[in-house]
Amino acid sequence: MTITLNIPRLETERLILRGPQESDFDALAAFMADTERSWGFGPEKDRAKAWRWFALVFGHWVMRGYGYFTMEYRETGQPCGITGIWNPEGWPEPELGWVVYAGYEGRGIAREGAERARRWAYEDMGFTTLTSNIVPGNDRSIALAERMGAVYERTYQNVEMGEDLLFRHPGPEVLS
Amino acid sequence: MSFAPHAPTVETPDLILRGYQEGDFEAFAAFGTSERARHVGGPHTRWESWRAFMAGVGHWVMRGYGMWIIEHRETETVAGRVGILMNDGWAEPELGWHIYDGFEGKSLAYQACLAARGYAAQHFGLNGVISYIHADNTRSIALAHRLGAFFECETSVLGQDCLLYRHPQEILSKPGPLNTKGTPDD
Repeated sequence: MTITLNIPRLETERLILRGPQESDFDALAAFMADTERSWGFGPEKDRAKAWRWFALVFGHWVMRGYGYFTMEYRETGQPCGITGIWNPEGWPEPELGWVVYAGYEGRGIAREGAERARRWAYEDMGFTTLTSNIVPGNDRSIALAERMGAVYERTYQNVEMGEDLLFRHPGPEVLS
Repeated sequence: MSFAPHAPTVETPDLILRGYQEGDFEAFAAFGTSERARHVGGPHTRWESWRAFMAGVGHWVMRGYGMWIIEHRETETVAGRVGILMNDGWAEPELGWHIYDGFEGKSLAYQACLAARGYAAQHFGLNGVISYIHADNTRSIALAHRLGAFFECETSVLGQDCLLYRHPQEILSKPGPLNTKGTPDD
């Protein structure tokens, strides 16, 4: 049987944010196995375990009604990262997350995708506040969060990542 | 609740095989932390169980089939899971079953497996499926035999040695298309 999730397709100047597809898996698995890049997100060298994490992304959309989009780079038509709203059990609050794959960094893509996802969350999904959880030492993500206007709020223990910094984004009333 | 119907509902005299609901997670996690989960790669922490639970939902979306939640009709509680698994690393689709504490010894696993196997053959085009069973899991081996499955070979899945059982082909009531639309569960 075919199951349709009706995940919206969001566009930016250089990106298309769309629902995950099975064909996105190789790029995601390569990112997760590259621990130098993925240590702050959730490294996974075991491909079978990475596949299960990818299946979780689909399940999250079904059970929450929101989740991670695949970011597709318009020019190449290739997946270049993920961004969206993530809220597993044990998370303090729904968070805006982002990841950019090798070869796509340093071009402002993460910000372009994450800001579009944030706007969707506020305008289309009705979120009134959003956080981002960032592992201490992940300076690139911290810098991006701050460029997006997010402010450090507190340090807490994340069920998956351990010590984690919680940043809070400006709310919809500020951004609109 | 769930935001998208992802699994058809299949009914048997004692059981309802259905899609996942948020409220099923406590029973799922309790099984994951129990000694009984040792044959399915466990025991698992609550966090690992949550990931597996959601991946179970995602499997339906990715493959068009998966593991159902088994609801015990009389008590309206979750009695386990049954269905067809084809995770990355699997050689072919597998009929799997997990029966939770308190629901064993009542032939419920047999009833669930027959229903799932029959539905998969009729509606998913998956007929003559396998089951991976750990050699120490005598209860599951006995059930496989009762289901008419035969030992085919020793193998391994995700690096763990196990036995491969082959289920008999179901006789289809009518030739069905591979992607018959099931009945949404909510």
